[in-house]
Amino acid sequence: MNVLECEGLVKAFDDLVAVDGVGFHIAEGETYGLLGPNGAGKTTSISMIAGILESDAGTVTVAGTEITTRTTEGKAKIGYVPQDIAIYPDLSARENLRFFGKLYGLPKQSLDSRIDEVLEVIGLSDRGDDRTEEYSGGMKRRLNIGIGLLHEPTLLILDEPTVGVDPQSRNAILESVEQLGRRGTALLYTTHYMEEAERLCDRVAIIDGGKIRAEGTRRELVELVGQRDTVNLGVVGSAQRLVDALGAVEEIESITSTEGSVEILVEGASSLLPRILDIAQQAGVGISGVEVVEPNLESVFLHLTGKALRD
Amino acid sequence: MKSWAITTTNIKRLMRDPSTIFFVFVFPMLLILVLGASFGGGFTPKVGLLLEGQGEFARAFSDELTSDDDFTTVDYDDRDLLLEDVERGVVQMAVVIPADYDTKIMSGQVAEIEFVGRADQSVVQYRSTIEAVVAGESAIVRAARLLETEGLNSFEEGTTLARAMATGSTGPEVEVQTMGESLFGEDLGQFDLGAPQQLILFVFLTSLAGSAALIQTRRLGVSRRMVSTPTSIGEILVGETGGRFAVAMIQGLFIMIGAAVAFEVRWGNLGGASALLILVALVGAGGGMLMGSLFDNDEQAGSMGVFMGLGLAALGGCMVPLEIFPDTMQTIAHITPHAWALDGFAELIRRGGTIADIALELAVLAGFAAVLLALGTWRLRAKLTH
Repeated sequence: MNVLECEGLVKAFDDLVAVDGVGFHIAEGETYGLLGPNGAGKTTSISMIAGILESDAGTVTVAGTEITTRTTEGKAKIGYVPQDIAIYPDLSARENLRFFGKLYGLPKQSLDSRIDEVLEVIGLSDRGDDRTEEYSGGMKRRLNIGIGLLHEPTLLILDEPTVGVDPQSRNAILESVEQLGRRGTALLYTTHYMEEAERLCDRVAIIDGGKIRAEGTRRELVELVGQRDTVNLGVVGSAQRLVDALGAVEEIESITSTEGSVEILVEGASSLLPRILDIAQQAGVGISGVEVVEPNLESVFLHLTGKALRD
Repeated sequence: MKSWAITTTNIKRLMRDPSTIFFVFVFPMLLILVLGASFGGGFTPKVGLLLEGQGEFARAFSDELTSDDDFTTVDYDDRDLLLEDVERGVVQMAVVIPADYDTKIMSGQVAEIEFVGRADQSVVQYRSTIEAVVAGESAIVRAARLLETEGLNSFEEGTTLARAMATGSTGPEVEVQTMGESLFGEDLGQFDLGAPQQLILFVFLTSLAGSAALIQTRRLGVSRRMVSTPTSIGEILVGETGGRFAVAMIQGLFIMIGAAVAFEVRWGNLGGASALLILVALVGAGGGMLMGSLFDNDEQAGSMGVFMGLGLAALGGCMVPLEIFPDTMQTIAHITPHAWALDGFAELIRRGGTIADIALELAVLAGFAAVLLALGTWRLRAKLTH
């Protein structure tokens, strides 16, 4: 059974169509990533999925319950971690958790013990009574996630939870997300960091311009660009002479040169690389550096949209 | 229950802000005190009295001054201290009876009494009262001198006789008649006029400026996060409105009870005063909700809230009493809820009115509250989900 099913989501702000027919599903225990640059439509999509933003068209169902801004029943199954740190700075972590616990309808008897558990999970047990305005950015981020976990949701939505976080806190957050995935919580994770999507997600949707361009596992997506590797060579001497010499190699799909470097697109770079270096030596062209780039989601995104993720 | 959680969190956050505590609770009470002390009725000026001579005439003058109900006399024995206290306003004026006062009167010379006042308009009013006491003493001296001149009595005997005559007889009296009613009532207490003005001014000011907190909650993303929980938009709106209302009520109750206890302000009929306070708080909450939903910048809303709070208060009669406004301005003033609320309190405090007597004022305030709350919640609902 799918935990989340959304279909044909559309949202326009005046003339700007921010989301245009987005639809996907997430199975139980699956971590699903929405990968796209800023302004791709990720936050607008998950705002509709979380029942925060009214959609112009489309449906969202979480564990069999339809979600809109007006429904409340299904929202108890969703944990939402917004990109902004949505906490009261003049309240402590414990007070913030208690406030949202009440809004999630947690029973009074178990609320305090659940708050203690969440503080433990996010590593803030010893600072739980301090005002959050005194916290570091990473601590605030962890509390931001903790609020989403408070009611043990069936589906946890995380909207770029590592934006603006130092590397150490970022790694801690990613480990927490991995743990949640291992525990069987279904996760919807948006990011514009290719490495995070590759590390965390079972399936990824590439989103750009409000539309999902492709969807699948990492392997499935990479196959879209034909599993070709890129070999970048730093050249001492004539790059054109090397291009001419390599022209006879059948396995090379394409080759381009700029002053001082040559870029070769090839299947199975590791096996072909010694031969390429031999040809360069025979042609009297010195090699100052070698880089082999295997296909990744970044190259998939580039292939599908014609632009880089961070553009 | 969920609305209550939102409301109580609003109150908790307010109580944690030291600047809010000052402006919500301390500042209004200070203003009531200062305005009441400066402009309220029931003020008895203090006269600093320095008796340099201890003769019979000097003591008689001192006794006459002390027995005058228009003053409270404070005895001094240091001239420099007395003059310094006049300058600092500890006493409003000084009267110095010189050491040779009796000698000069007995010898038929002109005896002078020194009067020192502050360099402002009040010196004229106080001087005339002191001069009345001097005139009384002069009449006794002149009568005694006449008896001595005519050979009927010695000066001392004549003085005793004249003083006895002055005590036992009555001279011509000025009968004072007043036309119409006093603008502010006959028995208005010193703080009774200013307290309702400050109550209304500050409840509205706090509510409007407090709209910044609502915007801050939105800007922090907490409002949207509330929408993501299984809490209906209606519960969120009730909770936020409740927060604004509770803050206004807490402030209003503090001012009412504080002014009654500290300054003996009489708020009149309890039911009427309570109904007025509740409606003023609801109008304030509605205004705060509307401003909080119209603006997206909390600093902008805070500044505009203060500007509107003070502007409406001035127009509505919270700074200068409505009664001294020209007729046209009185009419214009009633576009503000402040003027209607002040009318209600005036009826209760000054004319002993009941809740029935302020039905119109209550109805108008209820109308203001309904319109502002409807607009505010409608706008905020749209902001939360679009």
